Amino acid sequence: MLAEATTQAADAAAASGTTKILNDLGITKILTDFGISWPFFLAQVLNFCVVALILWRFAFKPILATLDLRQQKIADGLKYAAEMEAKLAATAQESAQLIKSAQLEAQKVVDEARKMAKDFADKQQGEANARAADILAKAQQAIELEHKKMLNEARGEIARLVVKTTEQVLAKKLSDADRAVFNDAATKELTVL
Amino acid sequence: MAANKQTKLLAKRLFKLSFANGQLSAEQVAGVLGYIEKTAPHHPLALLKLYHRAVATEFAKSRAIVEHAGPINETALKSIEDAMTRRYRRPVTASALPNPKLLAGLRVRVGSDLYESTVAGQLTTLSFAV
Repeated sequence: MLAEATTQAADAAAASGTTKILNDLGITKILTDFGISWPFFLAQVLNFCVVALILWRFAFKPILATLDLRQQKIADGLKYAAEMEAKLAATAQESAQLIKSAQLEAQKVVDEARKMAKDFADKQQGEANARAADILAKAQQAIELEHKKMLNEARGEIARLVVKTTEQVLAKKLSDADRAVFNDAATKELTVL
Repeated sequence: MAANKQTKLLAKRLFKLSFANGQLSAEQVAGVLGYIEKTAPHHPLALLKLYHRAVATEFAKSRAIVEHAGPINETALKSIEDAMTRRYRRPVTASALPNPKLLAGLRVRVGSDLYESTVAGQLTTLSFAV
């Protein structure tokens, strides 16, 4: 049937100049040997193009778009990872710097607190020493006053005892003659007033 | 019983009547007492107390009590009497009062005035000075 069709085509072609050219080139023989029929060939080419167009439009293109999107996402992820790594390094460096500065600041605060504590302790010590000295001075004054008071009391008591003893001795030892002499002297003293 | 104003005034007048020649007279005092006894004025006890106080005060002014330890002669008493009479410009009589606590010396009291020259007084002064 194919041969018949080819024959018919050849017949048709023979009617034109093309057939003559094909015949000159030997193509007609090849087409005949391989059983190629131009209408079927063109139909298959058309089918292939349609199928290719459909595949390209609905298969390859979305897949390529998906691949491009995936590739873009991977690239973005890698870029993001690199940026994050850089940021992490920067953050680590910044953190180290902050920790170092914080340590310095903390050390400064601790030194200042120690200095303040030492000053406060020195001040308290000074005030305590002053209070102690004041208390000691007051105690010494109180002791001196007590000592003076005791001496005065002792002196008064001794004087009282001496006077009393003297009175007792004089009461026993003074004779009437002595008293008369003293009375005369007292009379002269009182009459001179 | 508190003395009222009239009783005080009467006691003052009776006290003035008790003087004779500027001196307190025993006769005048006896007459005043007789008058009080005879007339029996109001508040006689209060009147007698006021009169007695005034007479005792005036009598003390004219009396020198000479406290002494040991013997004292009349000459000394007379000397003291004369000295006090000159000092107070009125007659002062001296009377002796023995007081052994003075040890030796004299203490003369005229009214509320006190003059002292005694061993006990000197010893007391010494004890206060020490």
